[in-house]
Amino acid sequence: VSRDLFLVGLSHKTAPIEVRERVALSGDDLKSALEELRRMDGVEEAFVVATCNRVEVYVQADGDGAARRFFTQRAPEAGDHLYVKGGADAVRHLFRVSASLDSMVVGEQQVLGQVKEAYGLASAAQAAGSYISRLCNRAFATAKRIRTETDIGRGATSMSQVAVELVEKIFGDLRGRSILLAGAGKMGALSAKALADLGADRILVTNRSPDRGLALAHQVAGTFREWEELPRLLVEADVAIVSTGAPHYVLTRDLVHAAMKARRQRSLCLIDLAVPRNVDPAAGQLPDVFAYDVDDMEKVVESTHEARKGEALRAEAIVEAEVMAFTKEREARAALPVLAQLRRQAEAIALAEAERTLAQVGGKLDEKGRKSVEAMARAIVNKLLHGPTARLKEAASSGDGTLAGAAAELFGIEEAPAPSGKERGPREPGPPTPTVASNE
Amino acid sequence: LSVQILRIAAALYAGAAAAYIVYFARPRHARAATIGFWLLAAAFGVNAVAFGVGCAEYGGLEFFGLRGGLVTVVWLVSGVYLVLQRYYKIPTLGAFITPFTLVVLVPTLFGDPKRPEIAPAALRHPTLTVHIVTAGLGVALFAIAFGSAIMYLLQEREVKGKRFGALFSRLPSLDTLDRMVQRLVRAGFVIYTIALVAGTIAATAAWKSPWSWDPQQVVSLAVWFLYGAMVQLRHSGWHGRRYALLTLVAFVLVAGSMVSLKTVPGITRHQGDYGLTTPAGGAQ
Repeated sequence: VSRDLFLVGLSHKTAPIEVRERVALSGDDLKSALEELRRMDGVEEAFVVATCNRVEVYVQADGDGAARRFFTQRAPEAGDHLYVKGGADAVRHLFRVSASLDSMVVGEQQVLGQVKEAYGLASAAQAAGSYISRLCNRAFATAKRIRTETDIGRGATSMSQVAVELVEKIFGDLRGRSILLAGAGKMGALSAKALADLGADRILVTNRSPDRGLALAHQVAGTFREWEELPRLLVEADVAIVSTGAPHYVLTRDLVHAAMKARRQRSLCLIDLAVPRNVDPAAGQLPDVFAYDVDDMEKVVESTHEARKGEALRAEAIVEAEVMAFTKEREARAALPVLAQLRRQAEAIALAEAERTLAQVGGKLDEKGRKSVEAMARAIVNKLLHGPTARLKEAASSGDGTLAGAAAELFGIEEAPAPSGKERGPREPGPPTPTVASNE
Repeated sequence: LSVQILRIAAALYAGAAAAYIVYFARPRHARAATIGFWLLAAAFGVNAVAFGVGCAEYGGLEFFGLRGGLVTVVWLVSGVYLVLQRYYKIPTLGAFITPFTLVVLVPTLFGDPKRPEIAPAALRHPTLTVHIVTAGLGVALFAIAFGSAIMYLLQEREVKGKRFGALFSRLPSLDTLDRMVQRLVRAGFVIYTIALVAGTIAATAAWKSPWSWDPQQVVSLAVWFLYGAMVQLRHSGWHGRRYALLTLVAFVLVAGSMVSLKTVPGITRHQGDYGLTTPAGGAQ
């Protein structure tokens, strides 16, 4: 029975969140689901990727039935949202997912970690055998290659990342510096938190209403200061994130100008996340003041998306090459058992014949003579098998699996064991063999 | 022979510049920067050999001309950059420094240095060696400060003008560049001070007077005051764009005076005329 890789899954592209959350599993539930999958008829190995954006079941099996059942058991309506892939298409899909080419934000970093985690879980549950292990390792290597050879992961994809990039280019890091968070906008708090990772000494928080200000200060681990202190705070802080609901400029040109004088022209970065704007554009024209508004930052995010689209094309080419290499390798591997068996048989015959000859005439020969008879027998085997070996390997690596079958038939070799390392019959109950997936 | 060796060094400098430019164009190829570093180190070594051979051939007199001065500065700029790279790790600076060394070096490769007309023995004053090395090092530090200041102004234009293009991502942060400029100016000023003191001592010995209103002396003193003022201004809070601009102006002055004083004949006795052979020296 020939087995192949099948993928059944649903993702943010095919299924609404209501369906996704019904089939999403984690922790022990996922582990028992994996064990259940593996016990199913015709399933050799299994592996489940479950993130908030996708649930995908990969099985090395006779067909996709078991993987389909995984979804329909949990949510009958999931059947309408599934995509099913087999063989090289399934391999390609996993490679694309790992390299973050199928993500909502193309090029994001987390998905590779999530796939690695999924693989770890599957191999801990002994659901992933040697085939899934090779597949996953190849997927991780491909993702790594794409990350180093293309710029797919470069650039900022969110406002807070843009803020971090800008501040890095002005101050390097923020050690010994302070961040001012003025106003209680949600984006402001996010950006302040992201900037705090650059090593800022403290976060100063101010807000017109002290209640919300205090809560915000608690949330970002900062200190609350009265709104009236704003002019002084502009002197103390090096980065000011402004996101108040005020319909007018909160930081006027005069206010910033005075602050710069008091700062003795130390650079000041103003990040205006409010709409309508809270920082007078004229303030940004002052020397050593670097001011950005929402539009500026949106533009950066947009240009990142544009750049990543171009890089994604290069990444797809790498995926394609890796899929080809992986499937070829797999076929070459399939030919190996036939070869090994063939050689074993031939050597057994040669050895037996040599022994028979030696039993008859061995007495007349000295030690050296007996050695030469054995050597001759081995040499004949090697010479005879040299051509077929080379040709079989060549055919297998060029993707032709028929020659291996023909050779098996011609030499009367029994059906070679499946190219998977698992020695378990599909219908055979009993304790599973502990196959620890080996990293190649 | 020294010119031949210098040509080998120039080829290595060119290789280093090429590697650094490749790195600047494609920052993902970090290996290009490493190759650039080692090529530059090799160029530095070969250049040193060229100096040794040159001293044997011409008795060290070539250091008094423009050609020798420029080669010395190029050599020291490379050396200082190699040290900076070891500590600060800013390979993009290499992409700015190495092409500069090449531009300065190439014209000096054509034509042999003149044979000495005066006895080298007359120049065997120890402070003279100190003067040459420190003056060269001072100018080299000012030159790298100049390069960093250009990088600062380019990056400031990107950051302030909201143009987040290739330069934005490749150049270091404004703060890094600003501090680099400041440190180089300060170090250059200290070294240059030593050069002036040594030069004055050497002048006392050669011209029998520490101060003779020679144009070279006047310009050197002006440069010293300028950089001294810059060190002082830093303490009173000057930084960023203004400081970078000032660094540019100051170095243009240094380079301009160095080239003009050493190319216009007879304008200064500093061109290797030490009052021992030519009567004109005594007349001034």
